[in-house]
Amino acid sequence: MRTPQLADATGAVLDGLDNVIEVGGLRQKYGDFEAVRGISFTVPRGEIFALLGTNGAGKTTTMEVLEGYTPATDGTVRVLGLDPVKQHRELRPRVGIMLQEGGFLGDLTVAETVGLWKGLSEDAGRPVTLSGGTELAGGFTLMGRVRRVDRAIMGALELVGLEKKARVKVKQLSGGQKRRLDLALAVLSGPEVLFLDEPTTGMDPEARRTTWKVVENLRDAGTTVLLTTHYLEEAERLADRLAIMHEGRIHTHGTVDEVVATSGDMITFRLPGVSWTFGDLPTLDGVAPVLTYDGGGTEVGYTLAGTDTATRAHAALRPLLAWADTRGETLGRLAVRRGTLEDVFMRVVGEV
Amino acid sequence: MKTDVLHAVRLARLDLTLVGRNTTVLFNVMLMPILIAAVYSTFPVGETAGVSGRVFVLTGVPGLMLAFAVFVNLVNAFTSRREELVLKRLRGGQPSAAAVMAGSGLSALVIFLGQVVLLGIWVHRFEGILPANVPLVVLAAVLGVAVFGLIAAAFSGMTPNAELAQVTVLPVLLVMMVAAPVAFPADALPGPLAVVAGLLPVTPIVEMMRTGFLGANHFTGGGEKLTMVEQWVGALPSIGIMLGWIVIGALLARWLFRWEPRHG
Ligand SMILES: Nc1ncnc2c1ncn2[C@@H]1O[C@H](COP(=O)(O)OP(=O)(O)O)[C@@H](O)[C@H]1O
Ligand SMILES: [Mg+2]
Repeated sequence: MRTPQLADATGAVLDGLDNVIEVGGLRQKYGDFEAVRGISFTVPRGEIFALLGTNGAGKTTTMEVLEGYTPATDGTVRVLGLDPVKQHRELRPRVGIMLQEGGFLGDLTVAETVGLWKGLSEDAGRPVTLSGGTELAGGFTLMGRVRRVDRAIMGALELVGLEKKARVKVKQLSGGQKRRLDLALAVLSGPEVLFLDEPTTGMDPEARRTTWKVVENLRDAGTTVLLTTHYLEEAERLADRLAIMHEGRIHTHGTVDEVVATSGDMITFRLPGVSWTFGDLPTLDGVAPVLTYDGGGTEVGYTLAGTDTATRAHAALRPLLAWADTRGETLGRLAVRRGTLEDVFMRVVGEV
Repeated sequence: MKTDVLHAVRLARLDLTLVGRNTTVLFNVMLMPILIAAVYSTFPVGETAGVSGRVFVLTGVPGLMLAFAVFVNLVNAFTSRREELVLKRLRGGQPSAAAVMAGSGLSALVIFLGQVVLLGIWVHRFEGILPANVPLVVLAAVLGVAVFGLIAAAFSGMTPNAELAQVTVLPVLLVMMVAAPVAFPADALPGPLAVVAGLLPVTPIVEMMRTGFLGANHFTGGGEKLTMVEQWVGALPSIGIMLGWIVIGALLARWLFRWEPRHG
């Protein structure tokens, strides 16, 4: 257990702050509707934390409170030890935000958009340190003057694979390309904390992998990342820890392994005939089987939820095989598989 | 503070770039005010308050140009940027709320001052008049942009989307056209209306502009020549009214301005 260190009374951040993001009992209401219903989690420095949930779970709402867009209805939130609303000015230069959607000026080119953000960042005393392999010269064309694109801007575009689109108007980009531009803007000023709201929605598989790589590299360089997603694969691949959110509540959280362990291991097999009942079969690890009859046979399934997650499958197989030997039965298509994040997710969202 | 100023200047330059890239905006913001000045200047015959009617109109018409160059321009800009979530993104980025607002105000001021300069050249070229008190003209422009910028922020808050912006600006435009003493002096309106018109933000701007251009009393009098000191003293009530409107505008903007679209 880490002990959080809060900012001291003057609001200055103490060195060695462990939890970069702290959320305690957060509730958020829109009128009478409670979108977030008392959630708590912490994200230590240098970790990627994923909020995984279906649409309407309250992920964006949670992000926006942390980003300082609205004060929390109830509960406490701290980012880098600071209050995101009251200490917005101090926090702003240290945070990178990728909103769920939109917010571009369609008449600007991609390079101009990055250039604008770079300028705003420099004005705030955070120079952009990215450096690309090339730069594009300015000059005059039939269509008028084109501006030079410097190495810092190209560096940001190369990072997300948009260097060939530097002179394209933002309104002509595809949805996935806009997401990549968005990512470039969010990471431009070398933020200490990065908020990514559904960063890869609308991206093709290649762009998605590029994005994951960018986020992992940032994490390895010490950036703390909070991201939301409804892609299980993304949470599984990226997150050091994750929380599954549904209807405003966090149902499970921990490392991917810890969360998956709660889903139990599955043992399944098939017996001939349809005359089997619960009473005929053994209980394994204290669990009764689920039987389904089809095609003249019986499908049997056990979900093992014992606390010793590493050995429970092995421990359950021994009595099962002994039972089969005694009864002279053959367990057809016997399979043992670990639970998956999907199993947990489906259980949480109530579709199983 | 320094950061805010840098941000505001950068965002103002951005605004000016974008005005140049959008034909509709270019027409509404740049050409419309000049067109209005041209049309108004053809109406009058004879003399008003000691000058030719045309000079009287041209020196006061900046009050109306403000309606398009600043008010309509900013209501449209704020509303469409809110709709496209640009305001939300900017607020989550480096610039502060004040810098975002100031940037838009600054770009509107540059556009408006440019138009006043054009008008000054026009008046000099064809009427042979050199502005008597340039600082007073500039002050009128700054105060006018501040008041109408804030009112634009408030009105954009009441405007659900960019298409409806054309409608929500109408009441203000109408009041300005009717009440502004552009074609005739303020006291030409019947009693109570004259008092009301005098308190609206457009009247002090027209009167300060006209006095600034002509160096004559267009606040209370009928165009008698004034010394520099008398011009400034005469402008004080107008400045006071404008400062009052800045407070009102700021409160309205604070109350009504929205950074994000309404949900659903
Ligand atoms: N501004 C708002 N006003 C009213 N309800 C909202 C608003 N924003 C979100 N909601 C509602 O709150 C719930 C959570 O939304 P959101 O945080 O966007 O979820 P997620 O990002 O997980 O999809 C949804 O039911 C949504 O309709
Ligand atoms: Mg969302």
